[in-house]
Amino acid sequence: MASDVDQVTVSRSAIPEPATPTTPPDPHQHLAALVDCSDEPIISKRLDGTIISWNAAATRVFGYQPAEIIGKSILTLIPPELQHEEAEILRKLRAGERIEHFETVRMRQNGERFPISVTISPIRDAAGNVVAASKIAHDISERRKTEESLSRLAAIVDSADDAIISKTLNGIVTSWNKAAQRMFGYTAEEMIGQPILRVFPEGLFYEEDEILRKLRAGERIEHYETTRKKKNGELFQVSVTISPIIDNSGKVIGASKIARDISDKKRVEQLLIQSEKLAATGRMAAAIAHEINNPLESLINVIFLARQHSAPESRVTQLLLTAEQELERVSHIARQTLGYYKDTGAPTSVYVHELIQNVLTVYNSKVMSCDIAVDSRFNDLQKISVSKGEILQVLSNVMANAIDSMKQGGVLTITTRDVHAAPDDGIEVVFRDTGTGIAQNNLSRVFEPFFTTKGILGTGIGLWVAKQLVSRRGGQISIASSTTPKESGTTVTIFLPFVQPPSSTEGETE
Amino acid sequence: MSASESVPSLFVGFSRFVAADEPARASSELVWSDDRSQTEDVTRSKVLIVDDQRLIADTLAEILGNSGFDAVAAYDGFDALEKASRFQPHWVVTDVLMPRMNGVELAIAMRKNFPNSAILLFSGQAGISEILQDGHRQGYQFELLAKPIHPLKLIERLREN
Repeated sequence: MASDVDQVTVSRSAIPEPATPTTPPDPHQHLAALVDCSDEPIISKRLDGTIISWNAAATRVFGYQPAEIIGKSILTLIPPELQHEEAEILRKLRAGERIEHFETVRMRQNGERFPISVTISPIRDAAGNVVAASKIAHDISERRKTEESLSRLAAIVDSADDAIISKTLNGIVTSWNKAAQRMFGYTAEEMIGQPILRVFPEGLFYEEDEILRKLRAGERIEHYETTRKKKNGELFQVSVTISPIIDNSGKVIGASKIARDISDKKRVEQLLIQSEKLAATGRMAAAIAHEINNPLESLINVIFLARQHSAPESRVTQLLLTAEQELERVSHIARQTLGYYKDTGAPTSVYVHELIQNVLTVYNSKVMSCDIAVDSRFNDLQKISVSKGEILQVLSNVMANAIDSMKQGGVLTITTRDVHAAPDDGIEVVFRDTGTGIAQNNLSRVFEPFFTTKGILGTGIGLWVAKQLVSRRGGQISIASSTTPKESGTTVTIFLPFVQPPSSTEGETE
Repeated sequence: MSASESVPSLFVGFSRFVAADEPARASSELVWSDDRSQTEDVTRSKVLIVDDQRLIADTLAEILGNSGFDAVAAYDGFDALEKASRFQPHWVVTDVLMPRMNGVELAIAMRKNFPNSAILLFSGQAGISEILQDGHRQGYQFELLAKPIHPLKLIERLREN
């Protein structure tokens, strides 16, 4: 019976027979030795489950000596809750089927359960009847452990929010996790085998040389903040930590790179700096405003009174009148630069063109002295409910910019019209100047606080304030400009809806 | 102490307070009018100007007096409330940032005690929005003019209604 087992086992192991045996060894002995030398437990059993052979590896893995187990049921090795498996195995064996790499759990002599992979084949007698079974088992505890820890690691890497990438010391990507795909836009298939330089902006290629140099020296690069490029070309800020990957012999064989998108953080930092600047400026403006506007108020009153007390056609009256006009100019400038406060008074119903005429009056002398022709076409037929102070400020700021851009003269066209279009009806005001224009690269920034193209003469808050005020009223302000010689100029379009947004009537805190 | 609690109580006690603290104040009251007989004219608009900067309050009162108004100057909120009780102004034009009682507190006290007086705030400062919002939260809205304001513009505004 034992010889039957051996035959089957060997044929399964596909050991080639010696080509030209000079002194043919006893094949039985030879095969028995092979079975005993095997690293894998090899067991045979009858179809009733009785164990009939047991090799050395079986003893090592299961713990039983052959004498302890031969003649016992195979169920000895099967945990009670899995003994139903045996019936199925035996059914298949009787049908002549082979069971390959069946992964299950078996029990050692000490009761310890362990994962195992078994291949079970029917053993036939000379007549071809299945009379027994051979079972080659493979203890897969170690493999399972490795597999589990690998898959756990893979899951961690893949579920990380940070891009985790590995690369060779030549900068070729060897792994690319899901976050890397999200962050850079390239899939793992697109990046593995490709140079990491694909995600570097052109100007920063030199960084990679430096990174690789440090890695080869076994150095780690921590929290290095730089710029990288997405698949769509968009640049973004990252913080990267790069560590050398070292093999068992201590040799650096590659690098792992963990990248975090810090664009949002940077943006918040930037905003914070800006708002701090703004708050400081605001505090200063408020303090100065108080110290300037009150004396101005007194002065205007005093001069007004002095004028009332002087002879109507006298030189004194004339001089006081001039002084009053000049003070009016100072007052206006003070209001423009220092008087940015929220007009929390109730909105009033006005014609926008009346407000524009107001502003034109204030700027009249400046317009004249710069040789600017004003062409106004007012077609707003409907009053609109606005905070007068705020809209005057918006119009003044836009007007002042137009004048500043036409130092050598030009034409300022101001139009107003009712717009009846979904979703909002409202009034559109357009200021078009023939001034120097704004360079395209600056155009997108003109509504940013503290951005100015006027050097030290500009505060950089005019259009920003205008945008805040218009937005709060539920409107929009946009700008278009050209610097092409002879066609240069800037057009500012302001749209104010008739319907006041609900939030603007409520007191907001800032 | 919130404004809502402080103002009425301050007002209730104001006359006692003013009498004890500044007994001379009432006699320093300035009434600018070209013709005393016109003071009794019911068509003549009565304006109370309140500013802790006396030069502003006095000059405005004088200018308004010259322009056909009956104008009285007051130099703080308590002073203003006391004068208002006797003067019964059609208009109160008040500064906002004043010591002891700010313009919004004064305006709220005026609304409660002299509902027939119209109120105009005027201020030279950007930092008053919080004070205005205090009033806002209590349900009070006041018109605000920016300082400096040309006297003719103020007169124009006072004649509007």
